Amino acid sequence: MRRLLCAGLSLWIPVAAALENNSFDISQYEKKPFELNGYAELKAEQFTFDRQDALYQLNYFDQLPRDGFDRGTGSLQLEGVYRHGITTAHVLAHGSYTHDYTGNDRDTRFYEAYVSAQPSNHATYDLGKKTLSWGKGYAWNPVGFVQRPKDPNDPDLAREGFVIAGGDFVRSFDGTLKTVAFTPLVVPTTAGVNTDFGTPDHLNPAAKVYFLYADTDIDFMMLGAGAKSARYGFDFSRNLGTNLEIHGEWAHAESTTRPVVDSAGSINPLEASATSYLLGLRYLSEHNLTTILEYYYNGAGYNEDEMRTFASVVHNAYDQYQITGNAAPLAKLRAALAPALAQPNPGRRYLYLRLSQQEPFNILYFTPALTTIANLDDHSYSVAPELLYTGITNLELRFRVFWLRGARLSDFGEKQYDRRLELRARYYF
Amino acid sequence: MSSLRLALLALLLGFIAPAWAIDGNALLRQLDRNLEPESYATYRKLINIEPDGKKKEYVLYTVKKGRDKIVALFLDPPSEKGRATLRLGDNMWLYIPNVGKPIRITSLQSVIGGVFNNADILALDYSVEYNAEKVEEAGSQYILSLKARTAAVAYDRLKMWVDKATTLPVTIEAYAASGLLIKTLHYSDIKDFGGGIKRPSVLETDSPLYKGYKSVMLYSGIRARSFPDEVFTLNYLPRAGELR
Repeated sequence: MRRLLCAGLSLWIPVAAALENNSFDISQYEKKPFELNGYAELKAEQFTFDRQDALYQLNYFDQLPRDGFDRGTGSLQLEGVYRHGITTAHVLAHGSYTHDYTGNDRDTRFYEAYVSAQPSNHATYDLGKKTLSWGKGYAWNPVGFVQRPKDPNDPDLAREGFVIAGGDFVRSFDGTLKTVAFTPLVVPTTAGVNTDFGTPDHLNPAAKVYFLYADTDIDFMMLGAGAKSARYGFDFSRNLGTNLEIHGEWAHAESTTRPVVDSAGSINPLEASATSYLLGLRYLSEHNLTTILEYYYNGAGYNEDEMRTFASVVHNAYDQYQITGNAAPLAKLRAALAPALAQPNPGRRYLYLRLSQQEPFNILYFTPALTTIANLDDHSYSVAPELLYTGITNLELRFRVFWLRGARLSDFGEKQYDRRLELRARYYF
Repeated sequence: MSSLRLALLALLLGFIAPAWAIDGNALLRQLDRNLEPESYATYRKLINIEPDGKKKEYVLYTVKKGRDKIVALFLDPPSEKGRATLRLGDNMWLYIPNVGKPIRITSLQSVIGGVFNNADILALDYSVEYNAEKVEEAGSQYILSLKARTAAVAYDRLKMWVDKATTLPVTIEAYAASGLLIKTLHYSDIKDFGGGIKRPSVLETDSPLYKGYKSVMLYSGIRARSFPDEVFTLNYLPRAGELR
């Protein structure tokens, strides 16, 4: 062994000597008053429908029957920072142009537009539209009281923020307790501001307290009653070794409302408090296989019976529509239920598993992955193989296929598509 | 034992002799200070080199304070810009601007791919993570056998060749607990960075796990600088770019 190592050392040829220059100019990387960067993206998608699925029947009953459709999307995201003294202005703008069988659609919006002031290293004040991201979960965040929900199929995607006014105060210590941070804020709702956060004319105070205690991240967070009911919760995250991390979240909402349909087709709002939680881990094997596993209990979600009843009622209404041509029951169901039930994961208990192999067979920058999300109540699931290549500087290429499987009247078995292909090319600048 | 054998043994002991009088941990502490001040800021360029010569480069701005606090912010290429990693002792986090929150990472992961992993990019002082178990002398170099102080350290054992004249590392072999050689690090090209900092400006690594691949780290603009502790918190990570 020793001989081999000595031989290895003697064979080592300095690569640095082959590099053109062992130094580099740092002036181009120093802080500037204004910085702009972003990405341009092209995405092609193909959806394959199952016309027997409840969500297909609900969303497409008044259109010509389709077996699927293709969609092309071009997006541009720009991020700008302007610095002046202790203040910094941030803008994150996102625009997209989509083409599919329905025609063309444009969408342009500011995901973020806020000003920060940092009078000291201990305090920062923010005012404007800002995306907050509370919680430790990778696919879901039950404690995400002041943010839009993630798409578990794309958890790393940038999301639009809300208009807030808040502060961030942090202190560090020596000892077992290393950091304490306090983040109070308000998310005001009016007729024209934060309209999709909740009902207007509320201040909606919220706060988060963070501790780094005994090498564990711990957050306690709350949202006061206002546009939504009061809610509170906590999360944690900790490394158990050089290759294993565990995390969890727990949240309680004093009151949540969801529309529920009974077997007779009557739709009623169901009001109840809800407790949700998540437990997860991230593990890196010796062979660079990263496993992310999360269990999510969604206290405000639909249980198996409610999901089955919903699908069954839709099927009956669709059958009646085919016979009588009366679209009113389906239209009523769509208006009342689609927003809640067309969410990626409207059910009660889910398991998320993602396996990603970094650089297999010594292929640098290539990461194949497999992601599955299963509804543990009805055993339906989605499975998505993925290929990611980032070997060309600033270019990211990703190909994914989603297959949705499940019995009739199940969560994934009744979604409007059975298969989705996605090819995405993103160029950063 | 014949006199010839005794003579050979004496010659061998003279060539590779345990340096009984040398305190390995003191030597390691001296080596740490020769590499960089306890608190400093620096720019680093990481270059991943594939077997066919294709290169991919990253530029990081790094600030470190004391024994166990370090932040590394990616400045280039644009696809990585704004990513920031924080290490506080054995804790490591990665902040990705799109995700909008720091997530915990582990030391054996690599946020950029290639042979360097997070433990290399967010390396603390050697004397903080390792205990010198043995010091040998071999000509103009010392050979230090180092053992990780805790199981949380990325490499269980290091074998370090140190130049006697400068007390700077030359070559380091990093081993897993199983005895598997994970990678070899080579320091070279000593430069005077000013402010009394004279150290290798190049760190190269190769690994039997990545046959034919190499990664290189170039240092530039190292200077002693002090920072408040609050810079090394999750709350500050999204604003790490303001430190430049």
